[in-house]
Amino acid sequence: MQNSGDRTRVIRALALGDSLTIQRAKHFMTRQTSGVANAGPNRRTDGDLLGTNSEIGRKLKQYYDELVSDEVPDRFAQLLSQLEEVEPAQQKD
Amino acid sequence: MAANPGFKGDLLAAIPGLRAFAMSLSQNADRADDLVQETLVKAWDKQASFQPGTNLKAWLFTILRNEFYSQMRKRGREVQDSDGIMTGRLAVHPAQPGRLDLEDFRKALEQLPEDQREAIILIGASGFSYEEAADICGCAVGTIKSRVSRARNRLQEILDISGEADYGPDSIAAQVMGSNG
Repeated sequence: MQNSGDRTRVIRALALGDSLTIQRAKHFMTRQTSGVANAGPNRRTDGDLLGTNSEIGRKLKQYYDELVSDEVPDRFAQLLSQLEEVEPAQQKD
Repeated sequence: MAANPGFKGDLLAAIPGLRAFAMSLSQNADRADDLVQETLVKAWDKQASFQPGTNLKAWLFTILRNEFYSQMRKRGREVQDSDGIMTGRLAVHPAQPGRLDLEDFRKALEQLPEDQREAIILIGASGFSYEEAADICGCAVGTIKSRVSRARNRLQEILDISGEADYGPDSIAAQVMGSNG
């Protein structure tokens, strides 16, 4: 892959911690959260096997919801910001 | 066409779900976050191949899943294929009879073969349809259905909530022999 060098640099930059990027990422995250509400559409259940009447189905959702609500470390937003800087959305010039 | 300003935001919004799926697959927080990171990098690289308006979440889950199995292979860890394999391990006995603790559930889930675990998670928790889950896993819809069904049966067996019998520690042999296919 042609961009593997860039990626390595990004990841290294992340490991070193670039405070400006972190700041920007945090700012972005703050703006993001307002839009999250419309991000999760299909809240469907499976009537046959894992519906709300099923203990397994309930536990499964409880298990997963707990994982989903886990706070996301900043490093992911930082990573995306770095990727954006290095490869601005693969735009043709 | 690629300069899509919404793409980054969409990726950010998808991260909590990706992490949950990665945790469900790998059962390990560090590996899960590595998987998510690699997924984001790959998604960014391949964003031109993503068609706006199609299911981004399913696309990302597919990348993450492929990454998971490719890492497992690199590690030399044999990918479990539950078809025809009897996974006889220790049953989890809930500390409080009748009350299924979340920790017990997590342990039980961990005992499932990967293919069954991912199927039951995609269908029962991530909110995908059988068709979407089949796309993500690269298999037939019927395969997903059968994996979900076997996963559920297996979980009931491990967690002893089928209401059939009071399995004690001596029932391990019975579990290994397996009551259903």
